[in-house]
Amino acid sequence: MTLLVQTILLGLLIGGVYALFASGLTLVFGVMGIVNVAHPAFLVLAGLFTYELWSRLGIDPLLLTLITTPVMFALGWLVYKGLVARVRSSSASMSVVLTFGLAIALEGAMGMTWKNVFRSVTPVYFNQSFHVGALVLPKAQVFGCAASAVVLLLLYLLLKRTWIGRAIRSASENPEGAHLVGIDIGTVSAFTFAIGIATAGVGGSIMSILYPIFPASQYVWISRTLGIIVLGGMGSLPGAVLGALILGVAETLTATYISTQWSVVVFYLVILVVLLVKPEGLMGARMRRDVVA
Amino acid sequence: MGAALEMLGVVSGYGGARVLQGVDLAVQSGAITCVVGPNGAGKSTLLKTVSGVCRAVEGSIRLGGEVTLSKLSPSEILARGVVQVPQQNALFPSLTVRENVLMGAYIIRKRPALVRQRLREVEDLIPIVRDRAGDRAGNLSGGQRRAVEFARSLMLDPSLVLLDEPSLGLDRKSLKQVWGLIADMRDRGRTILLVEQNVRLGLGGADYGVVLEGGRVRLQGLAREVLEHPEIADLYLGGTVRDA
Amino acid sequence: MTAESGPVAARRPLLTLRNVLFALAFAALVAFPLLWPGDQYRQTVLILIFVLGVMATGWNVIAGFTGYVSLGQSAFLGLGAYTVGLLAHRVHVSPFLLAPLGGVVAAAMAVLLGATIMRNRGHAYVIITIAFLFLMQAIGLNAPGFTGGSNGVTLPLPPWPLAVGNMPFYYSLLALMVLSTLMTWWIRRTKFGMGLVAIREDEDKAASIGVRASVYKVLATVASGVLIGVAGGIYAYFLTFIDPRGMFDILVSVQIVLATLLGGLGTIWGPVLGAFLVVPMNEITNGVVAAQGVHLFVFGLVLMAVVMFLPQGLIPTVRGWLDKRREGHGAVAFERRQSAPRAVELTVAPGAEATRRWARGREAGAPLLKVDGLVKRFGGITAVDGCSFSVQQGSLTGLIGPNGSGKTTVFNLISGMMRADRGEISFDGERIDKLQPWDRAYLGLGRTFQSTRLFPRLTVMENVVAPLKRFDWRLLPADAVSGREARRALELLDFVGLADFGPQPAWQLSFGQKKLVELAQLLMLEPRLILLDEPAGGINPGLIERIADTIRALNKQGLTFVIVEHNMPMVLELCDAMLVMAGGRVIAEGTPDAIQSNPLVLDAYLGEDWSTETEMEGARS
Repeated sequence: MTLLVQTILLGLLIGGVYALFASGLTLVFGVMGIVNVAHPAFLVLAGLFTYELWSRLGIDPLLLTLITTPVMFALGWLVYKGLVARVRSSSASMSVVLTFGLAIALEGAMGMTWKNVFRSVTPVYFNQSFHVGALVLPKAQVFGCAASAVVLLLLYLLLKRTWIGRAIRSASENPEGAHLVGIDIGTVSAFTFAIGIATAGVGGSIMSILYPIFPASQYVWISRTLGIIVLGGMGSLPGAVLGALILGVAETLTATYISTQWSVVVFYLVILVVLLVKPEGLMGARMRRDVVA
Repeated sequence: MGAALEMLGVVSGYGGARVLQGVDLAVQSGAITCVVGPNGAGKSTLLKTVSGVCRAVEGSIRLGGEVTLSKLSPSEILARGVVQVPQQNALFPSLTVRENVLMGAYIIRKRPALVRQRLREVEDLIPIVRDRAGDRAGNLSGGQRRAVEFARSLMLDPSLVLLDEPSLGLDRKSLKQVWGLIADMRDRGRTILLVEQNVRLGLGGADYGVVLEGGRVRLQGLAREVLEHPEIADLYLGGTVRDA
Repeated sequence: MTAESGPVAARRPLLTLRNVLFALAFAALVAFPLLWPGDQYRQTVLILIFVLGVMATGWNVIAGFTGYVSLGQSAFLGLGAYTVGLLAHRVHVSPFLLAPLGGVVAAAMAVLLGATIMRNRGHAYVIITIAFLFLMQAIGLNAPGFTGGSNGVTLPLPPWPLAVGNMPFYYSLLALMVLSTLMTWWIRRTKFGMGLVAIREDEDKAASIGVRASVYKVLATVASGVLIGVAGGIYAYFLTFIDPRGMFDILVSVQIVLATLLGGLGTIWGPVLGAFLVVPMNEITNGVVAAQGVHLFVFGLVLMAVVMFLPQGLIPTVRGWLDKRREGHGAVAFERRQSAPRAVELTVAPGAEATRRWARGREAGAPLLKVDGLVKRFGGITAVDGCSFSVQQGSLTGLIGPNGSGKTTVFNLISGMMRADRGEISFDGERIDKLQPWDRAYLGLGRTFQSTRLFPRLTVMENVVAPLKRFDWRLLPADAVSGREARRALELLDFVGLADFGPQPAWQLSFGQKKLVELAQLLMLEPRLILLDEPAGGINPGLIERIADTIRALNKQGLTFVIVEHNMPMVLELCDAMLVMAGGRVIAEGTPDAIQSNPLVLDAYLGEDWSTETEMEGARS
């Protein structure tokens, strides 16, 4: 019984972090209708960047987010203006192909810079755990989940309370209506994309203390983040959080009771089943571009 | 406060088609002018050309005798106090009523005091903004949504309000409310240019009427006179209508 | 946009420069291992090129022709490889003989995929293919009892003498690549291929003219995968060792995409050309510059560059450039003359099947089309609210009503683009409301679109031969633009006065010309009833006259029309029966005269003044 509770709790902690990873991806889809398959590559990039700073400066990786976040924001803005803005008019499939190209190029660049070696960031609490009764909760997971929660809360406040946030939500729901009140969709899109990559910045720093980082790990994260946003409903931020928690628990349960190798299959199955049966996912954000007459 | 609008020889359309084929129209300031006409006549295109969504390829549009709208971009036109409430889908369903109305002030968002003041004025004028402030706009009925759309358009204290079929899809009670709001806006001195599918309702509530057909103005004048003009039935049913 | 080299353009002489070059290149490839038997490295590179060539040409069928961009194509390679790999030790037969089984397994998987995932389009489709490929890899890795797990599978070593080297692999894969290219060339010429391209250009329109999209997509998926499965078997034998990571690799899928895009998506030779570019590029970045990650970095950049700057690929871009240069002399005579319509004999008389249905005791005077209690809601509005009417055989029925009265929605419900929430639709005595759009087309129901939907990148001729009046397996492999069909199409184009416009790409036509071509398309279906959606919209009065004349002429020969129209004078003059819709239902029916003098109708158009209490003075003249 304790094992079950332990597993579920761990799954929730992991899911909390997953929610942050997927948030940028779903936000971008909501506003621009583009699935940025390179989003996980940016996560890994931020993770390696954090590793670099940590190994040179010795600062705690969670504090390093203060550096990685703005840098990734700027990078996101540049990538949008330079690349993404150019293909907005092409088909859905081609934009996926384009972002896949970006992901591969990033993987290559990371490989050239950091080599294909597994790297881990090991702060002081790396191997320590909290002991709550009979439960053992690794500190890194707890801190990581707490940091994710903070960032998600900040993201929520940004969307709810600021003008730019409202503009993002408006443009996401109704581009024509947004245009009518004077919102410049181009600027809003650039900003949204940059915010998305900025969340990858924080996510990457958190990822670095929880998982070993190497360039080719982006593929497993592609599966995970896609699975989460598909389950939650592509374009819905609350959906991403819900989907992340569910899948975090599902993955951990599978890893504990079946085997670790099969645990990632959960994501593939979720993608296939949801898209075939109920493409809007849980929170029903309809796939605007795929509306079939 | 309301400005007069003058359109001379306006030709415009979209996708290569010429929908408006030389429109000469004078819209009186501080009054309600209603444009009617059969389908394909160009009513929606007319509004879109004024608001800048469609570009006029020929002719000119002048606001208040000074500003030539036909040379400006849609956001510049918006900044000049010309707001448009489209036929449908103008609101953001998952934003609250209050947020929707606030978005009307997006281009003056850097002046929070002004925004607050306008919001208060709008709340006084259109009570639903205060009463249902926290409700999601998507949960409102058709008439309530129209009221919120009007409220949103008033956040910029516009001199010219363009309404595209304000009575579309509304029941009797909501119609009364909506037309009451329109009359109120006029009473406060704004210029209203609206397009109506429902001819009797539109011309019945307006001060001036315009009949558009085949991309041109066929009839223009006091609303009552236009409504009772014998040619109206012709234009709609392509022939004479005999008494029942 | 440039027009594709469809079947019509393909009637070129055999001895062109292009074909000579191909023959030479092929001869060179055949001769190469014989002349340089010791050059194992280059032979291996060529083998890789051939494998990629097979995969890219296959992918081109589903992505280039049909428009479904899959990132899971390498799964077929893996399936073929594993089929042969797992059997090779157990069944003591040469893997070359087992390779076709790899094709069978790939084809079986393709049927499964085609039947399930092809209901999704756009993003959903691509994501599903990615997940599918990863799933295959995961199964390969995690079922060691069945697949050998991450340890992979070793195949028996080839039994032939060392001197023979790689030649069996080389020639068999070269043959497969040529076969695969010929297959795509052949598919493109057939009725089937035409249907695929129609699906790509506008799937719903294709469905409405008789293209049975569900079956076509399954067939396309099978065609795209079967030869890859065979190649997978041979490739496995060549490698002697296969593992899930190598065989179900998403990067291979991406290479397929890059090769095809580089060469030209939707062209015949593009994928092969692309393979010849991509594999050496890989070799160079992998080998010559031996730093980690360079290969991926370059690959990613090239892919992005192609998608952004060269989306048509090399072949179409070069062809377009050549076309522009040729345009200097006289081809600016795209001033084709539109001629006056000529009389044409229509086979509007019911075909064999329809006659049988008639014989099944249909009462005389029963309506051709009957709509009963239709209801359709979407987006919170009830667009159609209990709509009922009948249309008599041989009539010209006008359907009018103010904006938002539900007319186009009713058309959508009748033609099958939407399903009604409630109600029944009967055509010629049979219930059709549960049928797919193509089945309704086969019964003789045609429909035009307000915005005139044609297949933009196909020529006018191809557009007109695209419709299928019935589904017949034997028709699929037939030449798309052949004999009787082509003659019939030309006749119909002549009928609408556009006989000269056959080779012109449809997107270049004016709005009015597109309307005429759309009509010609429908007449190919030998329809009994045509729903015309605003035939007079957006065109000049001269053309309106012409279209009205055409409709009258067709009606005289027995074709029934239902016409939605806002141009009152035209429709009141043309039709012999009128239906008036308002608020989602029919409020009046009768002759045009009766309708004009019906006060309800004027009310519907002018609207009720609900906000004032005063009566309306009946100022109607």
